[in-house]
Amino acid sequence: MSSYGPKKTLRAVNFICNAPQAQSVSLVGDFNAWNPTAHPLAQLPDGAWFRTMELLHGHHRYAFLVDGTLTLDPRAQGVTRNERGERVSLAPVS
Amino acid sequence: MKKNTAGQQGSQRLAAEKQSSAAGSGRIHPVVIYPFRQPADYSDLEALYLLIAKLNVEPHKYARPITVMDRKTYYAQKGDPRFLAFRKNTVAKHSDILDSWCVDTCQMWYSGLGSAFERGTDEDVYWLIPGDFNYGSAVGQEVLGRLHDLPEIALELRQDLCVGEIATDHNNSKQLIDTYGTFALLYNWFPVEAQEIRQFTERPRSEFFAVRHGFLGELLRQRWFAYEQTVVMMLQTVFTNKRISRFFVGNISDLPEGRESFASAMQQVERTERVLKTVWRERNQPKSNWAEHYRLLEAQSEQIRRSALVILQNLLG
Repeated sequence: MSSYGPKKTLRAVNFICNAPQAQSVSLVGDFNAWNPTAHPLAQLPDGAWFRTMELLHGHHRYAFLVDGTLTLDPRAQGVTRNERGERVSLAPVS
Repeated sequence: MKKNTAGQQGSQRLAAEKQSSAAGSGRIHPVVIYPFRQPADYSDLEALYLLIAKLNVEPHKYARPITVMDRKTYYAQKGDPRFLAFRKNTVAKHSDILDSWCVDTCQMWYSGLGSAFERGTDEDVYWLIPGDFNYGSAVGQEVLGRLHDLPEIALELRQDLCVGEIATDHNNSKQLIDTYGTFALLYNWFPVEAQEIRQFTERPRSEFFAVRHGFLGELLRQRWFAYEQTVVMMLQTVFTNKRISRFFVGNISDLPEGRESFASAMQQVERTERVLKTVWRERNQPKSNWAEHYRLLEAQSEQIRRSALVILQNLLG
């Protein structure tokens, strides 16, 4: 990890996925090795899916798995590709 | 070309550079493109150079910033004591001024990035910072607080190019030029690559970006166009399967000095077309039937350009 990489500072980040018709939504990213079962989101009464994650300082690649389909976060501040070449979202944590 | 090195590159910086190099971690090289036309109000540049001053005192992380200043800008202002004082006490204090005669902004990029590249190493990243934006406004301050993300993303995630995107309304001149000119022409000359580019950004002519050492080296060795260089860079990322990211840097508008008239928009569309034609020919001339294909695309391109100019005249004229 370079001197610019995530430091040992944790910060709470809210993830919201507006998919009221979905049966399941989970959060995948570099921070959980893209594990589809590691961080499921909970559905709120308005139909949106929500989860708060504590992430290290730095820039994180992530996406939502909506009923198993990799889905970009329309609220994300950036777009990039993961190691598998899939288009994913980018979250800065400072 | 004349270099004016301020006296900030002392032993402390050299030691930091050696330490950084020994540790094997990349550094960020900020390259500021000074506005071609000096704004009467210095507040935006003062805000920008507050950031540059902060970068300049972190030699482990940032190389000494470079400011590229067109000599025409200097000669237009050389009788203005305020300009001379700002140049000496702010710009030269916090950065090395690279005085250069340039035909256009992209040549300023070329001079600045090339100069920074010669100081860099394999792991380094080069961060282009346009000087002619409203950094002094509240929104501009927010953008200044986000710009550092571009080179950091390139370093942390080992991206070859990280492009900054600014939000504009649909009737903003830059948005209109890109929608009806840049992308329309890209879809004609490079339809596959254009779709890939648009998956990442709506602003393929962005002036905010950070580029890795290896990719910058490739770009510098190729033909360098005097304009619309970001479009060429974006195409090269697709041609050579480079890693690209896009990051939102905020809502910001051009300073009044830099806002496009219809004439300026027309010039930008025409320049984009010229660049795309040249890039296409360079890539396709080895093919036997290239001339026939070229004539077809050129005829289509003319229709697209004419349509774009009608739209731009209606909206900007």
